[in-house]
Amino acid sequence: MEEGNWILATVIRAVALGTPILWGTLGEITAERSGVINLGVEGMMILGALAAFVVAHLTGQPTAGLVVAAAVGGAAALLHAFISITLRANQYVSGLALTMFGLGLAGLLGRGWEGRPLLDTLPEISALTYAGLGVAVALWVVFYHTRWGIVLRSVGEMPAAADALGVNVALVRYLAVAFGGVMAGAAGAFLSLAYRPAWTEGMTAGMGWIVIAIAIFAAWDPLRAVAGALLFGALFHLSFRLQAWVAPELLKMMPFAFTILALAATAGGRRGLGAPEALGTPYVTGER
Amino acid sequence: MRRIYLVLALVLVAGLAAPGAAQQKLKAGFIYVGPIGDYGWTHAHDEGRRLAQQRLPWLETIYVESVPEGQVEPFIERMIQQGARVVFTTSFGFMDGTLAAARRYPNHIFAHASGFKRNRNMATYMADFYQVYYLNGLMAGALTKTGRTAYVGAFPIPEVKRHLNAFALGVRAVNPQATVHVRWIFEWFNPAAAKEATEALIAAGADVFAFTEDSPTVVQVAARRNLPSFGHYSPMQKFAPRHVVSGQLVHWDRIYIDFLSKVYAGRYTADNLADVDYWWLLAEKAVELGGEPGVPVNPVFRTALQAARVNTPDLGRISVYDLVMRRLAQMATPQMTFDPFTGPIRDRKGTLRAPAGKRLTVAELTSMEWAAPGVVGPWPKEP
Repeated sequence: MEEGNWILATVIRAVALGTPILWGTLGEITAERSGVINLGVEGMMILGALAAFVVAHLTGQPTAGLVVAAAVGGAAALLHAFISITLRANQYVSGLALTMFGLGLAGLLGRGWEGRPLLDTLPEISALTYAGLGVAVALWVVFYHTRWGIVLRSVGEMPAAADALGVNVALVRYLAVAFGGVMAGAAGAFLSLAYRPAWTEGMTAGMGWIVIAIAIFAAWDPLRAVAGALLFGALFHLSFRLQAWVAPELLKMMPFAFTILALAATAGGRRGLGAPEALGTPYVTGER
Repeated sequence: MRRIYLVLALVLVAGLAAPGAAQQKLKAGFIYVGPIGDYGWTHAHDEGRRLAQQRLPWLETIYVESVPEGQVEPFIERMIQQGARVVFTTSFGFMDGTLAAARRYPNHIFAHASGFKRNRNMATYMADFYQVYYLNGLMAGALTKTGRTAYVGAFPIPEVKRHLNAFALGVRAVNPQATVHVRWIFEWFNPAAAKEATEALIAAGADVFAFTEDSPTVVQVAARRNLPSFGHYSPMQKFAPRHVVSGQLVHWDRIYIDFLSKVYAGRYTADNLADVDYWWLLAEKAVELGGEPGVPVNPVFRTALQAARVNTPDLGRISVYDLVMRRLAQMATPQMTFDPFTGPIRDRKGTLRAPAGKRLTVAELTSMEWAAPGVVGPWPKEP
């Protein structure tokens, strides 16, 4: 385990920690591409983590836990969709509320599940990891090379124009937000089934916010999200490896600062850092 | 004859009614810094509260969880309005808020965990692990094959440093060449950080693990690599039955029951707490050695620990298993015939911290900033 293995070890850790971050980020990017920001990632993730753990514990089937977690994440996201799309409430407030609601509800329902070992777990580097990379590529293709992608992006950029062309803005947004929830729920499942197979209240410990930051600094690009998630995973791990030589107080900020700097510095490409034009704005038919 | 029945009936009624009238309930409030589902610090305090309530029929308890440090006063006030006569605040950061409330409510009783400020109506209490960490260190020193043990630390504060140093003293008592590699995560609870810190320590060649963090993450990560570890705070042996050697367990109920009983009996009042400081260790049974209650050493490791032999100044040549049991027995007696922080102790820079034969005082233990010999890694605020 000496220097020769540094690179390999770091890559493995980057992939392991990067997987849940990537899943969450891809979901958030999709939702934001449709013009709906969802600050409820943390809440959806933790509900997914609890659901996955409980189902896997009861059935002995971690895969069943994963599926249920995705469904729970999607359902939680529909709550945000209903409030922010149908009721046209402030997206930021609704998302924050979802985070608080998710953390609180999971804490309440999770009572008694802490301190229980899980016998049937998922491996850390697994089909989920590759699926995350696959989804990233697929989303990139869909966003930039299919009609669906044009519809999604136009709803996020100019919903009035899309509406005029006959696109059902609300439906597209609902689907995008629900997809975001499914991905966040699955990310939570990865945490409680593979990354650290156990339930503890508050176990996401802020990962939902990292996801939102990477979604923004990846400039809403699925492939850049892969780079961001892996970079964050690698730097987070290295921040502990390097403690033997560098002051730990400095290293604590490193993964956050470097990931954001790196993503921001390389964002000057063809799409730049521009957010979807209608991001955060509820759409009202006929209004501009 | 009839009159006798009447008298009997009266006595019976009086007998039934009397305890009801005399039985004044005592209401105690508990203020927690974390969620009770954390399976760590707050979980353990809440277990203590529940056991006290079960054991003491006259006790009624209320609690509030996840109270931010620095905002404790309004919560104390609400508890007093709800009728609490005793309020426990269970985080170091609640110290000044509790003191302010104690001054504002001179007739109520307060007790603050892990702090050092007291008042005539405010006591302090702590169940400390340093002796248990020393015993864990003895075992770790015997079990390491690479000579590198590991410790994932929460914050570099005196409490954690004291535990880390006790662990390191134990490791070196058995294995004078061994080292304790440290990584800090700067959080009490963060599974991802605990996980990556453990991975970093594994990559650095460490092969036995102890830690301070409120989740079984370190235990789980070590077990995946087939490496032994020591549980922290809650029973964690079940998370890795073949890899958890031992660990530290807490019994806050011992302190809560003792304190509340004395309040109920009138021995503790809102006037005589200025010198009441529970600093409870193995002897008071406020802490326990083990990864599971009643199991000081996982039987899986018994043979290995019995096979490892070591020379000691006072007990001669002895197996590490027996050494652990002897030291445990010595510290579990009220006389405490052994304490890990007994001089001569020099820190890792060579400065004398305890002269030969002298034991560190509680004040010295609770303000410890130096690093014990064998500790390798960053040590913020090292003197």
